[in-house]
Amino acid sequence: MTKTAQTDFLPRATAFIAKHRVAAVLAFLMIFPLVMPYEALALNILIFGLYAVGFNLLFGYTGLLSFGHAAFFGVGSYLTGIVIIRFGLSWWMAIAVGTACAGLVGLVIGFLAIRTRGIYFSMVTLALGQIVYYAFYKAENWTGGENGLRGITVENFGIFGIQLDILNPLTKYYVLFVFVAAALWLVSRILASPFGAVIESIRENEGRCAACGYDVARAKLLIFVLSSLICGLAGALRALHLSIVPIDSLHYLLSGQAVMMCLLGGMGTFFGPFVGAGVFLYLEDVATVFTTHWMAVVGVIFMLFVLYFPRGIWGTLIHRWQARRVHAGEAR
Amino acid sequence: MSDSTTSPLRRRLLAGGAAGAAIAGAPFVSRLAYAQSLPIKIGFPTPLTGAFSAEAQDQVRAAELAVKEFNAAGGFNGRKVELLVRDDKLNPGEAATRTLELIEKDKVDLIVGSLSAATQLSINAICKSRKTLFNSISQSDAINEAKDWSFYTFHEALTPHATAGAVARYAFPKFGKKVVYLTADYAYGHEMVRGFQRAGQAFGMQTLADIRHPLGAADYSAFLPRIQALKPDILVLCNFGRDLLNSAKQITDFGLKKQMKVIAPVLLYTARQAGGAEAFDGILGGTGYYWGMEDTIPSAKKFNDKFRKAYGGAVPSDYGALGYAGIRSVLQAIQEARSTTATAVANVMRKMRYDFYKGTQFYRLCDHQSVQSIIIVESKSTGMKDKYDVFKILSIEAPSESNLRTCDELGHKVI
Repeated sequence: MTKTAQTDFLPRATAFIAKHRVAAVLAFLMIFPLVMPYEALALNILIFGLYAVGFNLLFGYTGLLSFGHAAFFGVGSYLTGIVIIRFGLSWWMAIAVGTACAGLVGLVIGFLAIRTRGIYFSMVTLALGQIVYYAFYKAENWTGGENGLRGITVENFGIFGIQLDILNPLTKYYVLFVFVAAALWLVSRILASPFGAVIESIRENEGRCAACGYDVARAKLLIFVLSSLICGLAGALRALHLSIVPIDSLHYLLSGQAVMMCLLGGMGTFFGPFVGAGVFLYLEDVATVFTTHWMAVVGVIFMLFVLYFPRGIWGTLIHRWQARRVHAGEAR
Repeated sequence: MSDSTTSPLRRRLLAGGAAGAAIAGAPFVSRLAYAQSLPIKIGFPTPLTGAFSAEAQDQVRAAELAVKEFNAAGGFNGRKVELLVRDDKLNPGEAATRTLELIEKDKVDLIVGSLSAATQLSINAICKSRKTLFNSISQSDAINEAKDWSFYTFHEALTPHATAGAVARYAFPKFGKKVVYLTADYAYGHEMVRGFQRAGQAFGMQTLADIRHPLGAADYSAFLPRIQALKPDILVLCNFGRDLLNSAKQITDFGLKKQMKVIAPVLLYTARQAGGAEAFDGILGGTGYYWGMEDTIPSAKKFNDKFRKAYGGAVPSDYGALGYAGIRSVLQAIQEARSTTATAVANVMRKMRYDFYKGTQFYRLCDHQSVQSIIIVESKSTGMKDKYDVFKILSIEAPSESNLRTCDELGHKVI
């Protein structure tokens, strides 16, 4: 009797977590800054986790590999900073503007890119992303060019009359966390909707999806824009976190990082990108303190994961658990 | 990190050992003495990895020398100094994160460091909002401008404007009136050209062309025939690091040096060491420090000897010397202020006259720019005494506020 209770508990608990995945992720992220070596790193992981989640919508769920997602991240960052510095907008309005502009850029790039497939899609997004990079690089008066955008200081940081101290790292974490939470709920809602099923069917078999009567081009464009909005939001949060926007936020290396984080954590899983971002940034942070050859350390670990956990860290865990459940069912 | 003295692990072990010793000895010391034995922490973010890692590692070596010296002399009220070196990877985002870590987690008393305009501006942005004192040891024009500057910002290094101006004042009257600039297309390159052109007005210089090349270009062959056809008297290379090395090499191979004088605003000791005698032969440029100054400047001799003793006979580079001076000036200010609070230290630094390695210096009141001498050197290819003997000192321009952009121009209300 006790034995069955024990064996029943784990699947039940995991099933419960799977059902309430947003709540589970949020509960984890609530305590996250308390277990990390320092809050700024926890915030970086939170922000890059969201960025990877946005990217994963397109890469993991729709099967479109974009190499230009830094454009949305960077546009979100820059526009948030620019409207605060130039127009004195309140910080939450600035986040909205930054995110919306990233979505707009996503609409343009998506409109041009979804006409192509496979490697051509990747190349077109890469090229368009580079155009955005150079446009911001050259607009020195607005963006600071090579020196980056500085001076994003929010004097009056509060909402609904409550004053908050953004210089306190924990306060900053939980304020930005609210935005991440809302975005994660939205992503989960999209994935659980019929539209979520459509994009996954595009990934599995695009021709068959079209034959079933779905407008594949429209679905692709819509998910592209949604993905760029999420990435833009992540960028906007980073501008507030660091109070600067480096030009590297538009660089194609950052687009590559999104791919790495998704692969490391598990593409096409809800929490995988967060795991990937966390492992990647944490490893980098720790390895940097011990050796100047941190890139070799991170690179070797990445290769080991790709070789032995092709589903990613989180993806492998989920796969193992599901396999066990199937076995348990057969045994019964 | 190959240099074991800079290993954070070892530092941590040492710190742990020291803490253990303090606890063991606790019954014998008063509580006051225990509070005073807490170390003064100085954060030192610098790009240990990336294109400028050689310069950055020399900065760390020299900074550690300054710290050791201070601790050996008894520290401040018995408090020793601890240097917390962090790799910013030449990435402004990483620099900002590391600075947040230093301030929020490690609770450093102040920050010295950086190497590159963009990273020092991002470190400065964080320090400014948290009212932490930051002494920048890397060149930039923007950091002095009212927009970025704060009361807690100090700039130990030269500015591109001042360096370019000094080189122009030396070279323009000697080598002719027609100039072509070969410029790396980013803020630093543009600042250099502006510095040259401003100084050139006094001599009636004529700019034939300002040719821009992308940052990090490997191949300059497309620009060289055009430069040759323009027939300038002087070619100015407004680029840095690997770009300077690659363009100098290709200019040498193309034979342009026979037709015109080649000058560079900044001639780095480390770049010359890496690039070799031939590529840089005859190129004239400016620098903040060259060890050969020791023949005429006593403080340079003292600094070099200490550095040689600590690091097996090696001489400090220009950026290394800045690491030393950057740390020493904040430590001297702490001593004089009898305090480690940012405001007290800043107030002392504003009044300080100091001579740590290159003659007398002081911080200008309006923007805390260190007013200092600028050295004009020419690269040697013959008659070198040893591997450290790479430059000939042509002239040393005395420190003068008039060589900087005015406070007004930078947007400061004149104090």
